[in-house]
Amino acid sequence: MKTTARIMVPIILVLAISLLLQGHNLPGGGFIAGVLTTVAFALVYVAYGLDYLDAGVLGRDVEPGRGIFEHRSVTAFRRTFILGLAIAVASGLGALAFDEPFLSQTFVIVESIPIYHEIEVASALAFDLGVYCVVVGVLLTILSVVGAE
Amino acid sequence: MTDQLVAAPMLVVLTTIVALLGLRRWPRVQRSASVGGGLAYALAVGAVAWSVVLAPDAPGAAAYQVGGWVAPFGVTLVVDALSAFMLAIAAAVGLSAAVFSVLYVDRANQRVFYHVLFHCLLLGVTGAFLTGDLFNLFVWFEVMLLASYVFVAFYGGPEHTAAGFRYLVLNVVGSALLLLSVGGLYAVTGTLNMADVSRRMAAPGAYGVDPAPAVGLAALALVTFGLKAGLVPFQFWVPGAYRSAPLPVTAMLAGVTKKVGMYAIVRVYFTVFGGATVGPSIAGVAGSSPLSFLAPVLLAMGIASILVGGVGAVVRDTIEETLAYSSVAQIGFVAVPVGLAAAAPPGSLRRLGLAAALVYALHHALAKPLLFLATAAIRSATGTNRLADLGGLGGRAPVLSACFFLASLSLVGIPPLTGFFGKFLVFDAAARRFATAPGPLGAIVLIALLAGAVLTILYTTRIWTASFWGERTPAVEDAGVDPRQTAVLAALALAIVGVGIWFDPVFEFAGAAADAALDREGYVDLVAPTGGEDA
Amino acid sequence: MSVALAFVVGGLFGLGTFLLLRRDLVRVVWGVAVVSQAANVYLISMGGVAPGTHDSVPVLAGHGEPVPETTDPLVQALVLTAIVISFGTTAFALALTYRAYEENETMDVQEWQ
Repeated sequence: MKTTARIMVPIILVLAISLLLQGHNLPGGGFIAGVLTTVAFALVYVAYGLDYLDAGVLGRDVEPGRGIFEHRSVTAFRRTFILGLAIAVASGLGALAFDEPFLSQTFVIVESIPIYHEIEVASALAFDLGVYCVVVGVLLTILSVVGAE
Repeated sequence: MTDQLVAAPMLVVLTTIVALLGLRRWPRVQRSASVGGGLAYALAVGAVAWSVVLAPDAPGAAAYQVGGWVAPFGVTLVVDALSAFMLAIAAAVGLSAAVFSVLYVDRANQRVFYHVLFHCLLLGVTGAFLTGDLFNLFVWFEVMLLASYVFVAFYGGPEHTAAGFRYLVLNVVGSALLLLSVGGLYAVTGTLNMADVSRRMAAPGAYGVDPAPAVGLAALALVTFGLKAGLVPFQFWVPGAYRSAPLPVTAMLAGVTKKVGMYAIVRVYFTVFGGATVGPSIAGVAGSSPLSFLAPVLLAMGIASILVGGVGAVVRDTIEETLAYSSVAQIGFVAVPVGLAAAAPPGSLRRLGLAAALVYALHHALAKPLLFLATAAIRSATGTNRLADLGGLGGRAPVLSACFFLASLSLVGIPPLTGFFGKFLVFDAAARRFATAPGPLGAIVLIALLAGAVLTILYTTRIWTASFWGERTPAVEDAGVDPRQTAVLAALALAIVGVGIWFDPVFEFAGAAADAALDREGYVDLVAPTGGEDA
Repeated sequence: MSVALAFVVGGLFGLGTFLLLRRDLVRVVWGVAVVSQAANVYLISMGGVAPGTHDSVPVLAGHGEPVPETTDPLVQALVLTAIVISFGTTAFALALTYRAYEENETMDVQEWQ
């Protein structure tokens, strides 16, 4: 189990990021990337336990005995959710500043970049990022709280 | 290019939700932000209603394409007089319920998510009133429902889990039925934009649409809308859910979310299916359009609601249960004129029926939240809502009692209060219907309305004599009424009197809303769902 | 194809209704989930299958590949939304079940007070 997690988690995370980045005009997007990221975290949880992220990866102390809602990573997940919601709403509201309807999107193509030659930078990416954060935050909160029961 | 104001109410609530989530560590600031959000919402609705509908040079209606995608591909928001009227109701109730929540709900319960959920409820309501797309209507219903599930299940005592579960299961079935209706309509017409559906249903030949399934699909949607509105036979969740939710939220549920169901019936049947005719006639129904099907069904549901709710309200032993059954009865008074309008041929009677329903909805949205909030004030003063434990409140809390009395009078229909005009118009519509088409149906409607009015007098009198007159009970003797709560009640009571006295502009607004609901071509032209065809 | 789908949808609704009417609370939650999914299956079958063109599936257009027979992408977007909603509702129903069990110490709906 631990070996599988060690190999799979980085692959899943990279795939999730690529889906997030290409989501504005290819299959992918914030939702599916968020679900994949959650799957990666779930693998870590199943293989190593709930406290591993804090104690093993980030080197923080975990205070045992406190409620799951005070758990540091759960607090972080909830913050991610709120941050994501704020990003998504703000990206929608941003269009109003240019006198476009709510949620209007645009894109620019940045040229002469090494290796890639040109990159399409879409404003939809900001909204996708918000969705991604919301999905990751909500699903991981549910996962860790239910998992702790 | 687009009038940004149309989306303003929705954006205000969205921003409020994000701000409230960000402020959850500072409960005091969060509470003020919640009230501020309610106030900003009311201002936004006022601005929309003024600039789109009420101002002398107003266009009367405006459409808004979210993200700049043209209809029918994009998400359309539409404000016409009907939406603006309903939004105004939502704003009035939402603001007073938000203020009252801060004053009434236990501080510990208010922490973290109460206000967030409250504004989610408001967001769902706003979206349902604004949307011009059938699937989005479903989505906004769900937003509204998810927030109300939490209120019903988790903010009551432990004994309310059963009520919460019943509410949840009933609404899941309702949502599934609405989804069936929406999916079927998409298969039949190839579009979900309300204006586009309306256009295609009106000219089925030109678009290769077979309109025959529309009646059945509309009936499926009617079940869900009736469930949301709490019409008999879908009223079972009402008393339990109203008893379980915190009383300010109950005020919101009774005042606004029920009206969402009625609004959806009016919008879908009159605007979307208004022009449709189905080839063969339906068994047992005169005429051959979804509207002629709606008329007898909705009349029966409305009459049954009036009687079941009225009889149920007379025998309850707590104030809030009486009010819950009463709101079943009152929504029947809204449904009956809509049914009359559907039965009437296009013309002044149809318009009168819709206007009567809207005025009655406004009256109920002012009086019932006032009664529920007054009940909340009584409970926080005396700790009980049982009629047996109350008595003599009239002398102990005169202002509170006066507000309650006023709302009861409005419910009964005493001039010059708003309720008088509501009842008057409903009876007017029924009487005119009887005059133009005498028959057993018209007589039954009139008799049922009369019986409902008598029952209303009975149960309001019962609450009044049991809790406000008589000997003071110990609970009342020790009561301490919060003057700030009374101030909110007094504001709502003033609104009831004010709308009654200056009724003329309100009636014009309601008339414009009825016109908007019936102006199918205007709605289609406004949204202009021709993207891709003309372009 | 559509006959098979009709049977599937009908069967799911029948099963869901049956489960919703059981006394056991967990079965009722299963019923909630099954009914929601039945509506989703129905919704996705409403799009129909059509010969794909670059207009109907814009995502495929960018790659210049031949377009296979496709279903209507709009209903799939609708179903995705509906699935997320029914997921939330089912999760909420499960949480409520747990709470009801803790309070009443029984899963039998008829033994609730």
